[in-house]
Amino acid sequence: MPQQETDSPNIIEVHDLRKSYGGLKAVDGVSFSVRSGEVFGILGPNGAGKTTTVEILEGMRVPDSGTAIVNGIDVQKDPRAVKAVIGIQLQSSAYFDRMSLTELLDVMGSLYHREIDAMALLEKVQLADRAKALFKELSGGQKQRFSIAATLVNDPVLLFLDEPTTGLDPQARRHMWGLIKQFKEEGRTVLLTTHYMEEAEELCDRVAIMDHGKIAAMDRPEVLVASLLSRGFEKERTEKLANLEDVFLDLTGRALRDA
Amino acid sequence: MLNRFIQTNPTLSLTRASMKIWFRDRQAIFWTFFLPLVLITIFGMLDFGAFSTIGLGIVDQANNDSSRRLIDDIRDLNTFDLSETLSEEEEREALLDGDRDLVLIISPEFGASQSPVQRQVTVLYNQGQAQEAAAGQTIIQHVLDEMTFAEVGFPDRYSIDAQPVDSRNLRFIDFLLPGVVAMSIMQMGLFSVAFNFVQLKSRGILRRLLATPVRPASFLFAQVFTRLVVSILQTLVLIGLAVLAFDVQLAGNLGAIILLALLGGAVFVSMGFAVSGWAGSEDVAAPVANAIALPMMFLSGVFFPRDTMPEPLRAVADFLPLSYLADALRNVAIDGETLWSQWGDVLGLTVWLAVTFLVAVRLFRWE
Repeated sequence: MPQQETDSPNIIEVHDLRKSYGGLKAVDGVSFSVRSGEVFGILGPNGAGKTTTVEILEGMRVPDSGTAIVNGIDVQKDPRAVKAVIGIQLQSSAYFDRMSLTELLDVMGSLYHREIDAMALLEKVQLADRAKALFKELSGGQKQRFSIAATLVNDPVLLFLDEPTTGLDPQARRHMWGLIKQFKEEGRTVLLTTHYMEEAEELCDRVAIMDHGKIAAMDRPEVLVASLLSRGFEKERTEKLANLEDVFLDLTGRALRDA
Repeated sequence: MLNRFIQTNPTLSLTRASMKIWFRDRQAIFWTFFLPLVLITIFGMLDFGAFSTIGLGIVDQANNDSSRRLIDDIRDLNTFDLSETLSEEEEREALLDGDRDLVLIISPEFGASQSPVQRQVTVLYNQGQAQEAAAGQTIIQHVLDEMTFAEVGFPDRYSIDAQPVDSRNLRFIDFLLPGVVAMSIMQMGLFSVAFNFVQLKSRGILRRLLATPVRPASFLFAQVFTRLVVSILQTLVLIGLAVLAFDVQLAGNLGAIILLALLGGAVFVSMGFAVSGWAGSEDVAAPVANAIALPMMFLSGVFFPRDTMPEPLRAVADFLPLSYLADALRNVAIDGETLWSQWGDVLGLTVWLAVTFLVAVRLFRWE
């Protein structure tokens, strides 16, 4: 287990979390900690237990055993207190029909007893021009950005992003990366799940790789790579200096396209 | 600032949101307000329940002083819708076609002598219009009696002192209005909750709300409150139209009517929650809600009195929540009874509320 390298306190402490559905052990003895201010990634194939683990931390699911402390609060004892200080982006989010984006953000803010500046949040995710639109009128990337804005209404110290870039085009994905880096600069902690390794390498200070409900490895991405190489691993082809995505972005630019 | 007060209170903010969402739903507005309004307008204009004038055909085969006097006396009454020019053949035809309620045939020998046969007229009547026919016969008999008295010359007769009273003439719309109000409260409560709530669950909207620290009770309050407000609005709008456009006289206390609308609304809203708890998707919620609503619409005396139903059916129909609501609304709004006197219906609704509430709580699922 990697230990704290700085004196920054842990914002998440998970100890021996277990959760089964029927005979399936979705989460099978998971322990880890996340330091305040870091971007922590949980990687793993589908069904590895990523989402279940995250949902337990969010107070959305009750574990069979084990403890999860988030921001100093035992999630099982006071899930509402945890929810008050975190921001949750679900894998697929939906919002009320027949309400504009600003109205929706106002309602979301009210659930935290907050008056918010909905326009400022929409500007942050480049949706200010869609302020009067309905959620269902948005494109896939815009919906994803709106749900990011909705997770920010309570100015959370910790953000849970469940596969934030799945289904996005390269431009939208780069934009989301920019937002996540910005959250880190603002001093927020980010816990994200992803299938994309280049995303984890780009964003995460540390990653945990999960499979079959257990953590298979956990460290800084470059340390994991170095340890693999030290075991004599060699890639068949040497890394190209550019890949197809670079060509794509060179041809189509980096600006968001979803109007 | 009121806005700030609402904005920082999850319950109030969710209630405001739920109101906005409801009133922006054109389909809900259509079913809740427009359709019942159309029903009331159509039935208000048709008014087929009113007692119609009696159609009387007269065939005068005698054409003498006596027969003319009889016809004059009948004409003076101004009671019948008279037809005097057709032949017996044509009048019989008209009767068969249902264009006449009665046909009076005065035989050629009428009034010729004192013999019983020659003092007799023939009345053919439409069996399908028994009420009109009987009333018509009584009137004709009365005219004949007058003639007899006049001929015999009795000075003192028993008489009727008829005094006009401005009575409330109940029309079909008076019967229908409370029924339609009750029915539209049922439709709104049952469907609007069953559909919406299942949709909120199946599309993950509820799940997103549960990712915030909001108390589920705040959310439920907003949903229920909105529908109760709508049920009061429905009641006021429908009664308002009937009073203004169709001259329905509201005999009852408006406060009592609103209390009944609230109680009825609560019953059907919790029925809606029970359905939505049981049904996993809109595809299931729709037929289930229909299977509950449709039979009630026809069994609960919304469109016609339950007296006309066969006994075994009525025994069931009398205990339906819509029956209690429609009856109580009718007795209070139209007959001017007090809410207290309707304790049987109120008790019935309260029992239904308790039962549906318990079932709703049992079946309730957030996800």
